[in-house]
Amino acid sequence: MIRFLELSNETLFIYFLLSNLVYLFMLITALFTSAAHQRRLTTIRVGWMKGAALTPPITLLVPAHNEEKSIVVAVRSLLSLDYPSLEVIVINDGSADRTLAELTRHFRLHRADLLYIPEIRSAPVRGIYRSLDEPRLLVVDKEAGGSKADASNAGLNAATSPYICVLDADSILERDALLRIMVRVLANPERVVAAGGIVRVLNGSHIMAGALREVRLPRRPFEVIQVIEYLRAFLVGREAWAHFNMMVIISGAFGVFRRDLVKRIGGYRSSAVGEDFDLVVRLHRHLYEQRVDYQISFVPDPVCWTEVPADFASLARQRARWQKGLLDVLWQNRNMLFRSSYGRIGWVALPYQWIFELVAPLVELVGCIMILLAALLGVLSREFFLQFLFFGYAFATLISIGSVLQEEITFRRYNHWRDVVRLVCFCFLEHFPFRQLHMAWRLQGIWQFLRGDMIWRPMKRAGFPASPQAR
Amino acid sequence: MGSIFSWIRHLGPAGIVLKAIVVSLIGIGLLLVFILARRMVRRRYFHRRDARTLAIRKQWQEIVSGTVAPEAWWVDRMDREIVEAILLDAIEAAPATHAAELPRLLSFLRSSGLLDMRIYEARALRGWRRQRALVSLGRMRAPEAIPAMAEGLEDSNMETRAAAVRGLQRTRLPEAALCILEPLVTGNLRVPSAPVQTALVSCCRSRPSLLLPYLRRAAGQSRPLLARVLGELATPEMDDDLLLLAGDAQAEVRASSARALAEAKSGLALPALIALAGDPEWFVRLRAAAGLGDLQDPRAIPALVQGLRDTNRYVRLRAAASLARLDAHLEEILERVVECHDRYALHALISELERSDRIPKLVDSLSQPARRHTSATILLDALRTGSAQIREAASPRSAARPEAGAGLEPAKVSDR
Repeated sequence: MIRFLELSNETLFIYFLLSNLVYLFMLITALFTSAAHQRRLTTIRVGWMKGAALTPPITLLVPAHNEEKSIVVAVRSLLSLDYPSLEVIVINDGSADRTLAELTRHFRLHRADLLYIPEIRSAPVRGIYRSLDEPRLLVVDKEAGGSKADASNAGLNAATSPYICVLDADSILERDALLRIMVRVLANPERVVAAGGIVRVLNGSHIMAGALREVRLPRRPFEVIQVIEYLRAFLVGREAWAHFNMMVIISGAFGVFRRDLVKRIGGYRSSAVGEDFDLVVRLHRHLYEQRVDYQISFVPDPVCWTEVPADFASLARQRARWQKGLLDVLWQNRNMLFRSSYGRIGWVALPYQWIFELVAPLVELVGCIMILLAALLGVLSREFFLQFLFFGYAFATLISIGSVLQEEITFRRYNHWRDVVRLVCFCFLEHFPFRQLHMAWRLQGIWQFLRGDMIWRPMKRAGFPASPQAR
Repeated sequence: MGSIFSWIRHLGPAGIVLKAIVVSLIGIGLLLVFILARRMVRRRYFHRRDARTLAIRKQWQEIVSGTVAPEAWWVDRMDREIVEAILLDAIEAAPATHAAELPRLLSFLRSSGLLDMRIYEARALRGWRRQRALVSLGRMRAPEAIPAMAEGLEDSNMETRAAAVRGLQRTRLPEAALCILEPLVTGNLRVPSAPVQTALVSCCRSRPSLLLPYLRRAAGQSRPLLARVLGELATPEMDDDLLLLAGDAQAEVRASSARALAEAKSGLALPALIALAGDPEWFVRLRAAAGLGDLQDPRAIPALVQGLRDTNRYVRLRAAASLARLDAHLEEILERVVECHDRYALHALISELERSDRIPKLVDSLSQPARRHTSATILLDALRTGSAQIREAASPRSAARPEAGAGLEPAKVSDR
């Protein structure tokens, strides 16, 4: 028994060491990549693209399910984006509230007899609406499909531009975000098939009429911790993975895709819980199978601001859903693992997701049990345990502060000293008890998947205020 | 695994962890110090830069006229960068705001040595510094900088080559286009097509005829690329060449020629576009339909009505969009479409009329009392029936039914 415990502890130690080394490697890669991107930006002015004759149009797809509080402000904000040729399609996904009524009232919608061909399967479309005031706006009203993927598919059928950008209705894009993301795409449109921008936390910032007025940190501690998580995930994780062309997730809140390609792979998988992850993995699969030289990029400067859960119940639901989505996609694509035909995706990116993302909460749980067991059997070295705990704490803090540094040397959105000090302080505080709760939520997600519980549980939202105020 | 464990045992777990803790703590400390120090340095830097920018702006006229000697701002790097930034912004804005100011600014650019400095950097430096110099040179719009930018096209780094193309694009000079065109047609330009197209459109705008000799020589991938550029810039004087392109073996070139013919709006455009509307390739027909719409000539109605009956959905939709633009002839168009007895054509047309908000006007015109007992009643019925059919098509039952061709790429959806 004692030998078993020793072996388990050593295995867990190796796992822990490896995962931290991978993070450290990603942090260093991200620092270099960001620096290169910053230098590249000195030779590009996004405004030049605005006047270019050959800038392609983009269709913004905005699935909306019970978004009556924020939809009007969100749509106004999207219509005011800096981009020469824009089409906004809102997909009202069987909202039970006044989402459609609000849109109708504010944009003078009227039912239009437009030809709609459901090339990609989705829940039935009830009608298509045009605005009398805004010709760039189209609203597709459909029955609830039970997922964002289903709504996105309906929008995809109605889209007419060569590029689509899928957004969340509760998010705000910065005015030049589309231009910035398209700079990367249009630098090599033959190769870059999709690009993701950065998603940042909106909570705490001051917004007015759908536009961000002042960036501030949220007040509640666990919202600040989510800010650090987002910085770490995007400025470190995505940046590093994209550098090696192994990015498997483009956030559902903000990503640009080639429409023909998305349609070719059958659009979003309606049953997918993590439809954004699923789409990108299927894109990789398709492009590898077709032996196409391609790139899926991450662009760190176009920003999408999104509302994160402000209460524990919503956060728990969100994290459980993410884990469920992860397991769902990895399981669906398990035949890509360690297959030479899927190159680095099959050999590195997906195994990483299995080992260090999916299994991580289970390993953490096993680790906790082993420590308890060792303590009960009297074989736990108290000195080593404390040292190990302190090392884990210090190393994780190092990575978090590294992501704050990334933010500081690149985009520096948090200008107030107070915000930076709070951000750094929370890098020290996020490990207890947030990490442990996070582990529990992720385990809950795995359990829900194993039980076949794939229901999308809604998140509580504050919505966008029409007058200036802190959220 | 055994060797790793023995290595750890040899070091002693507590020892390795202790070392790791120390390293992590040093790392945290360094990061914190770096963040704080950087914030303070940047704060001072921007404070100073703002103050210097203000001071230089106050003296700007004296600096440009040479009353303030260049030595006063050249030696300090920050001052030099500020002067260059203000100057480049002024040069870029000059054609739109103060065209007369441009020669004076260019003269200052040359006499101050800024141009020579950037030319030197574009030739001597490597990596992102070279890229920055290339783009700055482009913004200077000085013809003598073009050779240095052209050299950038041969760099081994793709980003530097792309920066050279961007630089040449910013000059907007036909001479810059020549530097791109020659390697393009000889197959020596290793830059993605989109930036090249944008650069050529920008540089050839004042002299589109520059493209023609290269287009005649071009083969392979460069030919459709040049044709696309021509499609943006064509003029009526290029009639003969456009007609030749309309009969090109490459479908993409024919499609671009349709766009060019519509752009040029020459006398031969209408018959040529009508001919292209019968092309075997669907996207050539689509371009021709769009081009006919741009001409807004009622003589195009029969060809566009034929387009409404095309086997390809996208061609039908584009033909409908073009027909809807012929406001004064909508009744005639509707009559022709009704006579076709083609419900797909009628759907496409009414859908477009609905999209462009023309249905109420047409219904009003057809419902006038004076027009009862005429063919207008039949057209009105057709309009109403067609509209109802579209509603039916968009209904839940119909939408749930997958169509043939679902999931295929647009190019292959030649439905019906």
